[in-house]
Amino acid sequence: MKDKINWPGRLFLIVIFAILYLPIFYLIFYSFNSGGKMYHFQGFTLEFYKELFQNTRLLIIVLNTLIVALLSALVSTIIGVMGALAIHQMRKKSKNSVLGLNNVLIVSPDVIIGASFLILFTTAGLKLGFYSVLLSHIAFSIPIVVLMVLPKLGEMSPSLIDAARDLGASPWGVLSKVTLPFIAPGILAGFFMALTYSLDDFAVTFFVTGNGFSTLSVEIYSMARQGVSLTINALSAVLFLVTMLVVAAYYAVAGRKKIRVGGRK
Amino acid sequence: MKKLTQAMVAVIIACAVLGIAIYKLNHAQGYAGKNTLSLYNWGDYIDESLLKDFQKQTGIKVVLETFDSNEAMLTKIQQGGSNYDIAVPSEYMVNKMAEDNLLIPLDKSKIPNFKNLDSRFLNLPFDPGNKYSIPYFWGTVGIAYNKKMLPDKNFNSWEDLWDPALKNDILLTDGSRETIGMGLNALGYSLNDTNEKHLLEAKAKLDKLMPNVKAIVGDEARMLLANNEAPVSICWSGVASEILDENPDLDYVVPKEGSNLWFDNIVIPKTAKNKEAAYKFINFILDAKVNAQNAEYVTYSTPNKAALKYMPKEMTEDKRFYPTPEMTKNLEVYKNLGKENLTRYNELFLQFKMATK
Repeated sequence: MKDKINWPGRLFLIVIFAILYLPIFYLIFYSFNSGGKMYHFQGFTLEFYKELFQNTRLLIIVLNTLIVALLSALVSTIIGVMGALAIHQMRKKSKNSVLGLNNVLIVSPDVIIGASFLILFTTAGLKLGFYSVLLSHIAFSIPIVVLMVLPKLGEMSPSLIDAARDLGASPWGVLSKVTLPFIAPGILAGFFMALTYSLDDFAVTFFVTGNGFSTLSVEIYSMARQGVSLTINALSAVLFLVTMLVVAAYYAVAGRKKIRVGGRK
Repeated sequence: MKKLTQAMVAVIIACAVLGIAIYKLNHAQGYAGKNTLSLYNWGDYIDESLLKDFQKQTGIKVVLETFDSNEAMLTKIQQGGSNYDIAVPSEYMVNKMAEDNLLIPLDKSKIPNFKNLDSRFLNLPFDPGNKYSIPYFWGTVGIAYNKKMLPDKNFNSWEDLWDPALKNDILLTDGSRETIGMGLNALGYSLNDTNEKHLLEAKAKLDKLMPNVKAIVGDEARMLLANNEAPVSICWSGVASEILDENPDLDYVVPKEGSNLWFDNIVIPKTAKNKEAAYKFINFILDAKVNAQNAEYVTYSTPNKAALKYMPKEMTEDKRFYPTPEMTKNLEVYKNLGKENLTRYNELFLQFKMATK
């Protein structure tokens, strides 16, 4: 009885998903248009996919984007988790002020963050390029990770740690055997948030790219004056497919583990 | 903990794989060498196969970076940190950059192909004597319209836009110089007019146009026109030539009262590292055949006289995009009006935009 279909709710879900996914499918559909434009579908072609894989400059930019996203997400997750652990230990008053500072970084406009990074890097004499982009991405991702991990820490009962200590666990033991596994979902969520933030950030990245290093968002923006070509559609289609595969693989792995845990019970 | 460590190792391995792939691609592309030229251009504003030809000829690798607005480019160059050897600003920005001391004066003796340029595009008010800049592409501002949707309309003059029959039909460009300039032109004044009385007249004139205005838009005008969603738009000739190709129902005209003549220009910023390569590249791009190939790819009008004979006739004989000297007589180049006057333009434009229909 519980599983009885809730039609209004289901309809609502379908509408929402349609709104979210239709533009993507629309874009993918036109990546096969031999007419070369985003309207008047003329015929099927794979020309733009061929063009995409021959365009080494664009491929380098895609790889740059991915490596910056992965590395910055990794580093900011590590720093963010340490920060969250520290904030969690604080007294209420200082905790609130530190959290406040953390939130200011999240809500402040990207343009301002980007411009200040540009000024900082150039006055410090750091050459713009891979490292400046990486550093700024790490910086704006840390507050997000902190925010994703803190609630998990709050959920954790203090008696859990007390019990671990009573049973003779060292501080490192408590951290690695109790705390980190407990907050692992928060850490993963933080990592993926940081990853997406880095992938689609334009405003900050625009200011700190240079010396031949560029990311996808900056490149696509600058194409606006000439009209974005369907090669970008093809690229989006490929990225969408890869993302789908990664998500599917994640659920396949996660689903299998759950069954094993269930079996052990 | 084990799971987290595994995830971390997986990410690190993925990064290493990506790193190797980037390194390999960079080498395949020949970007990793020492002798490189850093080119800062608008997105998709050069035929990239020419960059390879240039490398074959000179051994200099070109690293291309792109920007999407003059202001964005200025910020990056002003702040330093990146050493662009060549940038491609529009005319008013050349003026500003020269005033701010961001450009090096060009040594013409290193650019023998300078002679290929049409003299009517040289020595213009934004850069007298072409001390700092070389024209790269040029064009006009005019009216693009749909012949099929408006079969009995003929646009010759700015005045035609005020026809009550065009109610809710016109797309304007979201720029104060373009729009206020159009108002001034319609009244027969100069585009660079700063006389307060004339400006107010232009504003009043524009207010009367409001019932005909469908929207004030940026780059999306291209799409709206090509899809037959709006019959008339003010636009740049470069944009017009592209959409005319796509939609044969469209036509483009530069009004007889006069309009704007614009230029995108090659300059060498002060921060350039490889000035020799920059000169070589400028000379290369001014070569008649190279320039023709580039102009055919980009489809904007080239100021290179020698290149015209290598280009398809239907391009160079199209008076809409290669107007005769006679036709360009009435066209004006934007002058740098100074901060105060520009603010006044922006203010009036904002008031115009806020006016209710």
